[in-house]
Amino acid sequence: MAEEQKFSETSVQLTEAAPQTVGSGFTAPGNIYSAILSRNEAVKDARRLKDFQELRDKYVRKKVLFEDPLFPAQDSSLFYSEKFPLKLEWKRPMEICKNPQFILGGANRTDICQGDLGDCWLLAAIACLTLNDVILKRVVPHDQSFTENYAGIFHFQFWRYGEWVDVVIDDRLPTYKNKLVFTRSGQNNEFWSALMEKAYAKLHGSYEALKGGNSLEAMEDFTGGVTEFYEITEAPKELYNIMRKALKRGSLMGCAIDTLVPTAQRTKTASGLVRGHAYSVTGVEQGKRKDGKDLMIRLVRVRDPWGVAPPPACKSNDWVELAKTEQDKQRLQPGEQGEFWMCFEEFQKNFTKLEICNLTPDTLEDDQMFKWNVTVHEGRWVKGCSAGGCRNFPDTYWTNPQFRLVLLEADAKEKTCTVVVALMQKGRRVERCSGATLHNIGFAIYEVPKEMKGNQQQQLSKDFFLYNASTARSKSYVNIREVTERFCLKPGEYVIIPSTFDPHKESEFLLRVFSENRSTSKVIDAEIEAEPMQVDNVKKKIKPFEEEETEEEKQFRAIFQQIAGDDMEINANELRTVLNRVVAKHKELKTEGFSLESCRSMIALLDTDGTGHLNLQEFKHLWNKIKQWKLVFTRFDTDKSSTISSFEMRNALTEAGFQLNNQLYDIICMRYANEHMELDFDSYISCLVRLEGMFRAFRAFDKDGDGLIKLNVFEWLQLTMYA
Amino acid sequence: MFLLKKAIGGVIDVIGNIDPNQFVPSEPPPPRRPLAYAVSNESAEEQQFRKVFNQLAGDDMEVSPTELMNILNKIISKHGDLKTDGFTIESCRSMVAVMDSDSTGKLGFHEFKHLWNNIKKWQGIYKTYDRDHSGTIGADELPAAFRAAGFPLTDQLFQMIIRRYSDESGNMDFDNYIGCLVRLDAMCHAFKTLDKDNDGTIKVNVQEWLQLTMYS
Repeated sequence: MAEEQKFSETSVQLTEAAPQTVGSGFTAPGNIYSAILSRNEAVKDARRLKDFQELRDKYVRKKVLFEDPLFPAQDSSLFYSEKFPLKLEWKRPMEICKNPQFILGGANRTDICQGDLGDCWLLAAIACLTLNDVILKRVVPHDQSFTENYAGIFHFQFWRYGEWVDVVIDDRLPTYKNKLVFTRSGQNNEFWSALMEKAYAKLHGSYEALKGGNSLEAMEDFTGGVTEFYEITEAPKELYNIMRKALKRGSLMGCAIDTLVPTAQRTKTASGLVRGHAYSVTGVEQGKRKDGKDLMIRLVRVRDPWGVAPPPACKSNDWVELAKTEQDKQRLQPGEQGEFWMCFEEFQKNFTKLEICNLTPDTLEDDQMFKWNVTVHEGRWVKGCSAGGCRNFPDTYWTNPQFRLVLLEADAKEKTCTVVVALMQKGRRVERCSGATLHNIGFAIYEVPKEMKGNQQQQLSKDFFLYNASTARSKSYVNIREVTERFCLKPGEYVIIPSTFDPHKESEFLLRVFSENRSTSKVIDAEIEAEPMQVDNVKKKIKPFEEEETEEEKQFRAIFQQIAGDDMEINANELRTVLNRVVAKHKELKTEGFSLESCRSMIALLDTDGTGHLNLQEFKHLWNKIKQWKLVFTRFDTDKSSTISSFEMRNALTEAGFQLNNQLYDIICMRYANEHMELDFDSYISCLVRLEGMFRAFRAFDKDGDGLIKLNVFEWLQLTMYA
Repeated sequence: MFLLKKAIGGVIDVIGNIDPNQFVPSEPPPPRRPLAYAVSNESAEEQQFRKVFNQLAGDDMEVSPTELMNILNKIISKHGDLKTDGFTIESCRSMVAVMDSDSTGKLGFHEFKHLWNNIKKWQGIYKTYDRDHSGTIGADELPAAFRAAGFPLTDQLFQMIIRRYSDESGNMDFDNYIGCLVRLDAMCHAFKTLDKDNDGTIKVNVQEWLQLTMYS
């Protein structure tokens, strides 16, 4: 017999060092456990900066230039499908020119000149970024240089689906014949825009991932704001005022002209503007002519990221009419490269698309007059549980995540509230190289019926959607990263339903609600509870007198004895035999049979005396539960397929006495449903036995009823391994 | 759960405390990296593994519980010295759940590779500690095997594991052995993650508790 070993707690607690994260620009994907850990934004911000500084200082001390292992100077960082025709060299700015500078004379719009990558959408957004110093300094920390504390390492910050992330890069840039191939500054020895492009490329996996896109997307990544998209020919009459107010609110704007036919070559309009090219809107002005005529002057200042001179036909010199002072003249003077004024009418006639990026309050300065009230929700569509598709699929539409919106007051001098709703799907551009495409997404808004007002936790049911139309909705389901829509709604209570067009499309999403005035917005979710276990006290009292057992109970005991044998205990094999014999008698219960693994688990969950077997009382409890749960199963097997649709699991669990929240429904469907999003009888029973067992365990440990249990590792392993 | 009986009585009979630092669970899967980087930096062995993975995973590039079951049962059928009646869909769903670090319900490449490497390691231990060559791990062989795998548990915990994963004679066959270790590895990780101040205890509310125990 081996000597029994005992373990004792060491007096010195060793603190495990956090794993080294070199060149961190990517956070590990969240998992179910890390989701439980708390989030503290201020701590995160401080940690990001500290991480970068520690990494940089390490290389400064070593006097070694940083090389990023996660985004190496190789072809894999450039392309994932196409091959660039030229042989490129990766060089540091020090090797490209003398006296390189991070920012020369302040960052401005002329620091962004497009290279040979089709990412003008990105550069137009960067140009807009330079209009707002506070935002710019957040994205491009200005205390970086090629002299002080230089170690070949730089960092930039981007907004990533609700969080700011720090992207660290080395400063090796693609060159050909000693010239930058991609974005460069108007001044040859200035490098912040080229480095920023590299950081953004790293964020998305490669430079090629940046080819082709929408300025909306980049503007959001730089600001965390919400974007609106307008087809100018269909835009509301007040478009000019929308643009004017947008700039007042510090919004960023981009505009473009549709291409007539897909072509590799950019074509020009009759006015000389380039189709398919991303321009920026950098100013909006209006005023009266000096000569006193009644006609108003309405001007829009546009910038071309290529930095070329604007075509004469478009250019307007009416801005001099608005310049009443020398100071005005200086302010309104167009920049030297690529910037020009247009009459608003000319702008409307030539451009077809306008994108506006409205900023969140945390981005704007305190003295800004106009701000949005913003609430942000993270959610996900889970196949078989909450990926319900659009209203064309009534059986599953109701299972989409639901968000309650309460509008408390109307806009000033209005009877309605202005609300902008933005639904964004996460992560699809990063996965482009593995073939992922964007889902068609959209949302609808329903007014809450009177009987449900005030009850923030009640879901709109399947029947509701069969008989009620939406109050408002996004125009169509579109395969873009974010769908944004502006509405005017009466004060009241609403539910927002985000969805993909087709069901079973999985994705995480971000839902943001912007309102001009006070509003509340929250996800509709339930408290977690279960019916208390029934304690049959009366039967316990009369149990010793065998002659008083009911006939049914006598039969049950006889069956039990027959199964259990002399030891009067049922083991896993015996339980399996019984269960599979029962399901064989019920042809409506289709199953491949209970596995030994499932039966062992059930015994562990129900075994209260620690023998590893079920005694009469334990087996009786399980038997009665299975009978109850079988009735529920049959009721929800609506198509008599002998399985339950996983979408119906929410209702089935409610019927069985369990109320869970959305996240738990998601993970139960992932855990117990098959590839066809169905649960057969044995999976269903296994799930319910475990659910009941875990509720019972939690209650046993929560003696003071405060909703928290405290476990040491021994208790933790006993509960989770013997289950 | 017999522990509940004692817990309800107010007395928890703990035979010695376990120092969590003595556990040596496997390293967690590496964080997700851009695919372009991952592919270009893989070793030859990893590239070969990726080819196999691409064949198994199908179009969605993820391994489902059914696919995992087919893979495992196909491979163990080639090892006559590993006694088993086959991995069940239930145990494969459980393994996928505890290994699923991004909550997709399936295993991506790195998750699968991590699981695979563990299975290979634990298979080696299985063969080493099956001293009587019965094809199973007996009750007297189990403690040494688990210690070699990095899990020095108490006798009481070993008894519970034998009750849960071994047959009536106390023998644990290969699929139960793997299922048990995958779960044990994951639960040790979960405890360490939740033990934020490293004081040897965790506090969870009912939602956290159910998230951990239902998806496992």
